[in-house]
Amino acid sequence: MAQIDIRNVQKFFGAHQVLKNLNLTIEDGEFVVMLGQSGGGKTTALRAIAGLETVTSGQILIDGKEVQDRKAADRDIAFVFQSFSLYPHMTVRENIAFPLRAVRMNAAERDKAVKEVAETLQIAEHLDRKPSALSGGDMQRVAIGRALVRRPQALLMDEPLGVLDSKLREQMRAEIKRLHIARGSTSVYVTHDQIEAMSLADRIVILHDGVLQQVGPPDEVYLHPQNLFVAKFVGSPVMNVTPVRIDANRVALNGAETGFEFPETALSNLRNVNSELSLGIRPEAVLLKHEKTEGYVEVVTTNIEPLGSHDIVDVQLGGTSLRARTASGFVSGEGQRVWVGLDPSQAHFFDTATGLNLRGAN
Amino acid sequence: MANITLQGISKKFGPNTALRGLDLEIKDGEFFVLLGQTGAGKTTTLRIIAGLEKPDAGKVLIDGQDATAWNAAERDVALVLQQYSLYPRLTVRGNLEFPLKSRTQNFTPEQIKERVDRVAETLQITRLLDRKVERLSGGEMQRVSIGRAIVREPRVFLMDEPLSALDANLRDVLRVELKKLHSDLGATFVFVTHDQVEAMSMGDKVGVLNHGKLVQVGTPTEIYSKPCNTFVARSVGTPPMNLLDGTLQAGNAVLDAGKFTLPVTSPHGPEGGRVSFGIRPEDVVLDENGPATGKVFDVENHGVIKILTLDINGTHLHATVSAQVKVQIDQTVKFSWKPEKVLFFDQQTGRNLGLD
Repeated sequence: MAQIDIRNVQKFFGAHQVLKNLNLTIEDGEFVVMLGQSGGGKTTALRAIAGLETVTSGQILIDGKEVQDRKAADRDIAFVFQSFSLYPHMTVRENIAFPLRAVRMNAAERDKAVKEVAETLQIAEHLDRKPSALSGGDMQRVAIGRALVRRPQALLMDEPLGVLDSKLREQMRAEIKRLHIARGSTSVYVTHDQIEAMSLADRIVILHDGVLQQVGPPDEVYLHPQNLFVAKFVGSPVMNVTPVRIDANRVALNGAETGFEFPETALSNLRNVNSELSLGIRPEAVLLKHEKTEGYVEVVTTNIEPLGSHDIVDVQLGGTSLRARTASGFVSGEGQRVWVGLDPSQAHFFDTATGLNLRGAN
Repeated sequence: MANITLQGISKKFGPNTALRGLDLEIKDGEFFVLLGQTGAGKTTTLRIIAGLEKPDAGKVLIDGQDATAWNAAERDVALVLQQYSLYPRLTVRGNLEFPLKSRTQNFTPEQIKERVDRVAETLQITRLLDRKVERLSGGEMQRVSIGRAIVREPRVFLMDEPLSALDANLRDVLRVELKKLHSDLGATFVFVTHDQVEAMSMGDKVGVLNHGKLVQVGTPTEIYSKPCNTFVARSVGTPPMNLLDGTLQAGNAVLDAGKFTLPVTSPHGPEGGRVSFGIRPEDVVLDENGPATGKVFDVENHGVIKILTLDINGTHLHATVSAQVKVQIDQTVKFSWKPEKVLFFDQQTGRNLGLD
């Protein structure tokens, strides 16, 4: 159990700055997921917490104590990597017990701790096998077991499911979450996969170019993205983002003749903005109808992706392509005439130049 | 443009059998997706069509002609791989020109320029033509690879997981572009993937491969709603179709898990008989008055929807619900299903009993 506090942390690799004034408090028992593209700084941040990387300046506190100058071994933190990094010549039992040998625990206690963690992770029947005889999922379970066996203050995981196939990844995701609930240890998890982040996190931390973009619970990040990077990184398919102009009470897409009527409350604080505006709207807020409808604009479908449970339908409006999420089979094919409308309550407006969300959706 | 027919193709690599009597028919101009896990035989199938691999038995027909003995060049097919394999020292233009400059082709410099310019325009890489490929992003490199395949105007395009190395957003974009390219060129596309979303969203037809055999061929909608067996049922859809063992009693489904009785609209299989009930996660409904009870084991938030894992005495079941539904882990919920959506599978063979 531990609270982790990151204060004004800067990190340079040579002239390249990978963490830019990072501030973040991770509460005791919280599951925090750091999300971003490769090169965004998330792994560096994790390694800095673990003590596998020094920081150029700033403080890292664990339960109020500064640890940035302490060695990894003195921080009482466990780390799980994407590559399983098990000892191939040892059995599963010996691999899990390994960290306990270092702390000179007696054999009986050690066996008990190993057995308990193996049972939690459902690998008790593999204890006497070598890692090479295990599946990828079981190997990662062993790696997690080895990390948990000495009851560390915090568990750090760097893309632990990255090499597993998608079905196993889904299953392991649920297991990691259950494990977190059962053990209650503070967990920090790094991934580039937004679905993993949305599914696992109490709070998501989004990093891009070494800068913290947004911190919040999954729903907040999805419904109220603070900037264009977050808006486009979270959600699949990606949020539609397109330049617009405001004409009286209408929002007009570039190259389209008619605009969409929006309530005054949605537009009032946009009228004084002098910069270029971009509309951000998720596919589920782009609404399609078969018949002419007040406030909707006539368009032609250009692409259908039937996904079974639902379809993603692309429509062309002026020079802009919009993606809509519909019931499956709602539109029968390409080149069909439909009417498109937008749900103002789910629309976002961004400053095109700075990317900042000018008014979060309600 | 070409029809491709495979007849009874078998292929072994040492002791491993990659393909077992594979029959496959791909129509001229079709976008055909081969879907399968690693080791299912999809890449081997593609390489046999390309002429890069010789089958141990069986025939490859291109437009009705026996092409089994033809070499890769004679087959006039183009292959795009997951790895870009471009010439790093050449510019984009140099890479695109390369296939046209081979000695077997007789193009004038003007013809070459015209073709390269046209292809670059189609793929929106005109502004990159004078750049070295090593300075391109992944998505740009894959466009150049596709461009190099198109420029020869081959009869067939073969693509082996061309989008797998790209990040998710770029994959979404290129998926749409590839489909558009297919409809512009009107050529036969054979696309290999392990990603069911790609298969569903791109294919005119999807062929599901398992252990070197073709299990089912159909439109994406057929594969999704009328799978011929439990393997196909679980190959498409995220999360995959729920399969619940039970018995048919008086026109109802009685589940082994929890002994719950749920209604079905058109039962298939013998009365009192053992079957597997197949129900997609989006057809499981949370309902206060529902006949079945489960405990929430996991909640996955996907923004637009939530995927719940329900636990019934150790049996797990997925349910897709709206993002607005509020549920907590370990909460007990009542549920039902859409009776008209239930499929019936033979517990032993996995066969879909409703298709007999």
